[in-house]
Amino acid sequence: MCECEAHNGTPAFEERACVVSNENLGPRLYKITLAAPKTAAAIRPGQFVHMLLPGFGAHILRRPFSVYAAKGDNVEIIYQTVGEGTAYLTEVETGAVCSLISPLGRGWQPSEGKSLIVGGGVGAAPLFMFTEQLVREGREVEVVLGAQTASMMVTRDDYASLLGRDPIVATDDGSLGYAGFCTEPVREELARGDYSAVYCCGPTPLMRAVAAIAEEAGVPCWVSMEKRMACGVGACLSCVVETQAGKRRSCVDGPVFNAKELVW
Amino acid sequence: MVMAVNMQVNLGGLVMANPVTDASGTFAAGREYSDFVNVAGMGAVTTKGVSLNGWEGNESPRIAETPSGMLNSIGLQNPGVKHLCEVDLPWLKSQGVPAIVNVSGHSLEEYVSVVEALEEDGQADAYEINISCPNVDAGGLTFGTHVPSVERVVSACREAATKPMIVKLTPNVTDITEIAKAAEASGADAISLINTLLGMAIDARTRKPVLARVVGGLSGPAVKPVALRMVWQCHNAVKVPILGMGGISTATDAVEFMLAGATAVAVGTANFTNPHAVDEVIAGIEAYCEEQGVADVNDLIGGLQC
Repeated sequence: MCECEAHNGTPAFEERACVVSNENLGPRLYKITLAAPKTAAAIRPGQFVHMLLPGFGAHILRRPFSVYAAKGDNVEIIYQTVGEGTAYLTEVETGAVCSLISPLGRGWQPSEGKSLIVGGGVGAAPLFMFTEQLVREGREVEVVLGAQTASMMVTRDDYASLLGRDPIVATDDGSLGYAGFCTEPVREELARGDYSAVYCCGPTPLMRAVAAIAEEAGVPCWVSMEKRMACGVGACLSCVVETQAGKRRSCVDGPVFNAKELVW
Repeated sequence: MVMAVNMQVNLGGLVMANPVTDASGTFAAGREYSDFVNVAGMGAVTTKGVSLNGWEGNESPRIAETPSGMLNSIGLQNPGVKHLCEVDLPWLKSQGVPAIVNVSGHSLEEYVSVVEALEEDGQADAYEINISCPNVDAGGLTFGTHVPSVERVVSACREAATKPMIVKLTPNVTDITEIAKAAEASGADAISLINTLLGMAIDARTRKPVLARVVGGLSGPAVKPVALRMVWQCHNAVKVPILGMGGISTATDAVEFMLAGATAVAVGTANFTNPHAVDEVIAGIEAYCEEQGVADVNDLIGGLQC
């Protein structure tokens, strides 16, 4: 942690955001849409917002959320209920106002050549905006999505309309696409030999497995490490991850890291 | 017509343009918050605890949210005093804001070595000797809980320090006034309190502690009444000025600490909730003084009417 850059060069700011909608997409999966024009204009793929939930009383810490998409003045976030905060968030109604700090973190950076996007579970969400960027820039991209079961494959349709074709999908229970973890289709894709980068977000064991497959294939792999955070701006050192260069902050040195740098 | 309030205070020889700084460890060395806070307008910036050669800190998870507060066990991760002097202090100097450097150590010798390195560097405006961190084995808290070891470490640092020296006290003691008196008698120019209260959190579902290190320091609004009480007790026990902290989120909180006896105040965990907290506290103290017809913020110190 030497450079001590507090952000990606873009100043961070606080923005009051109004909840436009908050809908259930599948088992424990929700999409919240916020009217947040400043954030929508400033956020880059893979960056996150640090949200103070409206009316959450004695809960003093913000929650980090990766952004799914920025559309006009709106920011969309897909989240899974994992604890008290996200469970509460499902109850937040249209019209509620929350405070965001954004844009935060170092996001995904495009590579020359063909990219493989690998999204496991709700980890498919932080990669969508990046895939949009790759498509917009006319870059070659393939997408592999994994989920426990078909009803949890909630971003597939959006990826399909973006790509103009179906992404490769895998479900643990075989209810959709490949039966099993999405590591198998990742291995098959990389065996084709024409990829120059892998971008993966999902549960840590998945990211680790995908990084190992990518390394075998000699392809650089980027992963997003979201840890429990307090400040979100690089000050408190709560969210550190182990790297070859010691403990680094996932909020400002990440959340996107080159998998090779990580000690896991 | 709005009257001009004198906001300047003197914290044991450190002249501050207003009574507000940050609590060490919540604000890095200011730069990380510069998008949100007018760092140059702070009374002082208190930097994250620094040791001689740097520490890796504790394992993760390092924090847990608790009702109206949080636990942390960061473990004083820092890159060492050389890095502070080469990277952080020059930036603070460029802002023209006084720097209070929080000094940590595993041993008496390490505290002294850090102070010596800072004296040689010359950029620090004051030291906050952290004899109270609950998150480091064989350091901080161990020194801060026994009168004889407080006397030893404070006296040794005093010999090395020409700049104002603030000694940061732990609330995890039977009688904080005994520790405050020992610090004063050993040469402290000011005392700061409170550091975090030792606590823990348990995940009933997994039957495991939430923090990797099991225990950690509690901070945030939950600790404010304890902190206020201790500031008031120390104000009645020692003559040196007090830097008060513990759950300050608003200007009203800050004023309460000054009424209890604090000469200056630090905003800590509130920065995480509201990154503009420091600026709001500074402006709010001034607004309070204007409303109350207080011409000099120093008139608030110890103004509690019991």
